[in-house]
Amino acid sequence: MREHISRLMDGDLDDAECDAACRDLKATDAVAVWVSYHMIGDALRRSGSPMPGFAARFAARLDTEPTVLAPMPRQSNRLPLAWAVAATVAAVMVVGWAAVSTLDPQPTAVARAREAATVRSAPGNPQSVSPDYLLAHQEFSPTTQIQGVGPYLRPVSSGAPDARP
Amino acid sequence: MSVGYALTGARRSFVRAAVVALAMLALPRAALAGDASAWLTRAATAARQLNYVGTIVYQHGAYSETSRLVHLYDLGEEFDKLVNLDGPAREVIRSHGEVRCFYPDAKVVRVEPRTFRNAFPSVSPQQQKALAEFYEFRKAETARVAGLETQAWVFEPKDGLRYGHKFWTDIATGLIVKARVVDERNGVLEQFAFSEVAIGAKIDRDMVKPTYPPTPSGWRVRRSGQAEADSKDTGWTATRIPPGFVKIVDGFRRVQGTRQVAHLVYSDGLVAVSVFVEPGGGAPHPGGFSAQNGLNVFSRQVDENVVTVLGQVPAVTLRQIANSVARR
Repeated sequence: MREHISRLMDGDLDDAECDAACRDLKATDAVAVWVSYHMIGDALRRSGSPMPGFAARFAARLDTEPTVLAPMPRQSNRLPLAWAVAATVAAVMVVGWAAVSTLDPQPTAVARAREAATVRSAPGNPQSVSPDYLLAHQEFSPTTQIQGVGPYLRPVSSGAPDARP
Repeated sequence: MSVGYALTGARRSFVRAAVVALAMLALPRAALAGDASAWLTRAATAARQLNYVGTIVYQHGAYSETSRLVHLYDLGEEFDKLVNLDGPAREVIRSHGEVRCFYPDAKVVRVEPRTFRNAFPSVSPQQQKALAEFYEFRKAETARVAGLETQAWVFEPKDGLRYGHKFWTDIATGLIVKARVVDERNGVLEQFAFSEVAIGAKIDRDMVKPTYPPTPSGWRVRRSGQAEADSKDTGWTATRIPPGFVKIVDGFRRVQGTRQVAHLVYSDGLVAVSVFVEPGGGAPHPGGFSAQNGLNVFSRQVDENVVTVLGQVPAVTLRQIANSVARR
């Protein structure tokens, strides 16, 4: 499950695996893994804020909040640390859960993500394929059989810089 | 006794009527399943057996190129001449099943020898099933293309692993005069279209004769190997083939005269995906996606080999296949 979530975040999963990983994310512990992986990722990239001292500040803020529903005298001025940590974890889980549950489960979202992955890697154009490959592929494509010689323009098209022999 | 017999007879005829009624209800679907492959056969026969000459516009991405195409069917053989009209001259000659691509600026001629595949392929029962299961095939609108009355046909994919295909056929002859590939948002990825075409024109051998001698002196000849003739087990396989795809080729192919490359082809009856496994040994291959001349390409390194997967399918399909390529 952990490996799937990690690969999902990297955009490395194929169709079926992606569906399975998204199903897994409906489980609470999977969401926790998802959230913590994102926090690790953000920290490594220094893109997000790991928010040092968040728990302490959260506890302090909570401390100053008026208690609306239970106007009872407080037994303690400071919230015990364990409670602060629990509250933080719960808050993170809720945020994570909300994020996951708002994910569009429609195939369009998956398709868009896929498209994004393609577009991202396209400009790199890491290699050009030999026209030999294009030519070899050509005759086995059923669409070539119904379109006659036209598709042979693919291997010889001068439009692509790689079309040179 | 006779009453009982009559009842049995009545019941029997009722059952028969019910079966016929059910069969008729089921017929449109069943007919559709057969329709796609029957339509492909008709279109392939038209492309092969008609004589035609015209101007074809080929578009992919923002790029478009115009070419002259001549097709002759004579004594059971096909002869084609395809000459581009824009950019550096290119000429494709197909005769007796052999394909020659001439690149006069580079002084190169690329030769793809005749293979068994040049004979018209029949769509296997397995592929027929895949066509019906993974595409919705339907008759669309009528339209005017290249001055002809045409009928549009659509293959709409039922999953995200295939692209959509639309074809326009000349109503009079069945020849495809326009073909388009679209992505899931109906964006055009590639299109072939005649801007003008004369179908049934009188064409003689001179019109399909190459401009150049078969191997012009001073030109380099790049001859591909006969992959299919000595088709044998390459020892490579793709373990996670998307549903509907069937392996149709497994053999070695000679690339650029020297290197032996394993070539596997998988097809769903409408499109094909090629897997090439080339022994590397050089610098590590960077791998990744690219789109080239209307085809998607994905490559990756597997041990000392470079795996290249290409075809007219979405990137996700290529990646799934490429990531599962392994030695058997």
